[in-house]
Amino acid sequence: MRSFQSSVALASLLALLVVAPASSHHAFNAEFDATKPIKFKGTVTKMLWVNPHAWIYVDVKKPDGTVEEWMIETGTPNTLIRRGLTKESLPKGTEIIIDGYQSKDGSRRANGRDLTLPNGQTLFLGSSGTGAPYDKK
Amino acid sequence: MQLRRMMVFLGVAGVSILLSLGVPSLFGQQRPQAGQQFPATYRAPRLADGHPDLNGIWQALVTANWDLQDHEAQPGPQPELSGAYAAGPAGQSIIEGGEIPYKPDALAKKKSNFENRLRVDVSDDKTWHALGDPEMKCYMPGVPRAAYMPFPFQIVQGTGPSILMAYEFASATRIIRMNWEQAAPTDSWMGWSRGRWEGDTLVVDVTGQREETWFDRAGDFHSDALHVVERYTPLSPYHMLYEATVEDPNVFTRPWKIRFPLYRRMEKNVQLLEFKCVPFTEELLFGKFRKQAAR
Amino acid sequence: MTAMRHRFFASTALLAVVVAVGLVAPASGQAQKKYSAPKTPWGDPDLQGVWNDATSTPLQRPATAGEKNILSDEEAEEFQKELAFDLSRDRRDGGNAADVNRAYNEHWMDARRLKITADRRTSLIVDPVDGRIPTLATLPPERQRVRAARAEAAGRFAAGLPDDFTDMSWPVRCVVRTDVPPYLPTIYNNNFQIFQSPGYVTIAPEMIHSARIIPLDGRPHLNKNLRQWLGDTRGRWEGSTLVIETTNFRAEEGVPFQGANPATFTITERFTRVAPDSINYEFTMTDPTTWSRPWTALIPWNKVDPAEQMFEYACHEDNFDIVHFLTGARLREKNGETVGQRPARAVEER
Repeated sequence: MRSFQSSVALASLLALLVVAPASSHHAFNAEFDATKPIKFKGTVTKMLWVNPHAWIYVDVKKPDGTVEEWMIETGTPNTLIRRGLTKESLPKGTEIIIDGYQSKDGSRRANGRDLTLPNGQTLFLGSSGTGAPYDKK
Repeated sequence: MQLRRMMVFLGVAGVSILLSLGVPSLFGQQRPQAGQQFPATYRAPRLADGHPDLNGIWQALVTANWDLQDHEAQPGPQPELSGAYAAGPAGQSIIEGGEIPYKPDALAKKKSNFENRLRVDVSDDKTWHALGDPEMKCYMPGVPRAAYMPFPFQIVQGTGPSILMAYEFASATRIIRMNWEQAAPTDSWMGWSRGRWEGDTLVVDVTGQREETWFDRAGDFHSDALHVVERYTPLSPYHMLYEATVEDPNVFTRPWKIRFPLYRRMEKNVQLLEFKCVPFTEELLFGKFRKQAAR
Repeated sequence: MTAMRHRFFASTALLAVVVAVGLVAPASGQAQKKYSAPKTPWGDPDLQGVWNDATSTPLQRPATAGEKNILSDEEAEEFQKELAFDLSRDRRDGGNAADVNRAYNEHWMDARRLKITADRRTSLIVDPVDGRIPTLATLPPERQRVRAARAEAAGRFAAGLPDDFTDMSWPVRCVVRTDVPPYLPTIYNNNFQIFQSPGYVTIAPEMIHSARIIPLDGRPHLNKNLRQWLGDTRGRWEGSTLVIETTNFRAEEGVPFQGANPATFTITERFTRVAPDSINYEFTMTDPTTWSRPWTALIPWNKVDPAEQMFEYACHEDNFDIVHFLTGARLREKNGETVGQRPARAVEER
């Protein structure tokens, strides 16, 4: 079972937990376009372990054989490090399926709604028991 | 009479000998003699764990942030606007041997860094870091540059497992993990610092630095293989010797070393203030993306 | 229990918020055997270590909690289970407009925030007793104008149409984040490392890498004309409680808290180690030109597993999103979009 974030719960949590001056977490719809969902298979070329957002670079082979580079936005790597992930957890060459929404400025950027390995195993889950590469709750 | 004269003579001779040995505690303030730079006779007060107390606010007076190597005075970025403001002072190299031992092909990159030090272009994520001195963009300076920025920094040392160094520039901080084995989990702008004591010297091993930091405004640079070993040695109640050995086999033919004194800031009630410079850079970096007035 | 659950979880928008009443008095009043914190070699109570303040207890008591200030064990358990479930299940409802916000999941968040405070309060605010921020004083026209302008800018940003980097908040611009006092829990990186040295206590928040180095020697604050984003802090010990007071905040909107008036705003924070693995962090904010009365919150700080650490949180250095927001806005404007087109919901989601 895949797991992910409830936007409403998140928004309300944020409204109540992250009190003004202002939230550092921005709603994704400020940057990504709900009318431009994307889903494709790509090969990881690198992952930028940077704040405030880590980025996964994937090469996506189009039907005509050309390759496009896409950048997938994710969260803070500090949390991943604390969950026991390392840079080897998503090595270059890993094939993943990306489900998300394209950037509003039309560039080849997306937020990663779901990241799945071809065998069905999903990445970066909130629940254990799915083989996700972390061992702490 | 002869005996007394002899004793006076011996006394004077003895004093001269002692003076020439440079024993400041007996004779008050002692000027270093020509060629003698850093007397090693000072023993710093101790914290409860027996280590020298390095607490305090420190600052470098060398002009290495402009250029680690010998440099003449130079005009600022836009002298037609600012005259002598922002112009750079002259300074002597803080490098042992004088020069950075670049591999021949690396010198071209230093040159292009310098030529592009005032340019920025953040329109493409993939080339976000390609242009401009990171200092100008208010990026954290990394090590060793943080030690010779023209801003103070504070050492916060207790008897716990880590020491904090807090830099006024960009409110940068780094944690020195004492006697720590784990390597850097990922690269960071201020590096992954592991410390240990060698006698009265705090030795800090720094790895895992982001490759995008520069050593100075002259475009001196490194790769992600950078490895720095710093040494902080108290010299007097008011001075600390800073040394750093820099190695990066991708860029330099051999390791090289820098050395200069840090001075204790002595003003009453001195404290670090803020140099949160991000707002100073936003126009430069992001101004061109704003909504243009309708024509 | 079901009826109670419906009552308190009725409002899904407040789902993450809180629940019912309890029978147990707040822990802070209650120690049978008083814990005595160890001391540093120079005699100060020892607060050192890495601490985490994540919690799902909200700052303010939600309307659905009524007047209840403490949850029962069962209610707390149930709330936490519901929260964990709700945040980690695979929601596909709401269409794309809702779905776009469901990127990066609990894996990226601080798992400790799925728990409420150990004393099961319904709000972090403990004074006033209704658990809510006191009413806003009547603001003079200039302050109202500034607030309205900030709200408009936030609206443009939430709609994906910021005019300029100035439409974004200070945290989005990576100037300050969790590091401005008061320290409030957020979705991740809720970590603070406390260092102590003779004559100082230093608090280093993880976001964004700045440290408050607090002198304890009784020196005066900086003069009023030296203002800082994090203010200027001075500390003293009252028994085993570290009491720190911060003044000299800058005047930019949003600094200090919720646009309080730096000329009249004060914040006092207290740190008391109440157990080997727990510090009580309490803050009181006063600003007679902003709030009708002072107010106080209590947030427990929990010691993290020694294997966990602080990690650098550089922010501005790789803040690509500033450009993404602006270039996206320019493209949308070119396509004729305006702020008014966005559904009102977008603003709420922010």
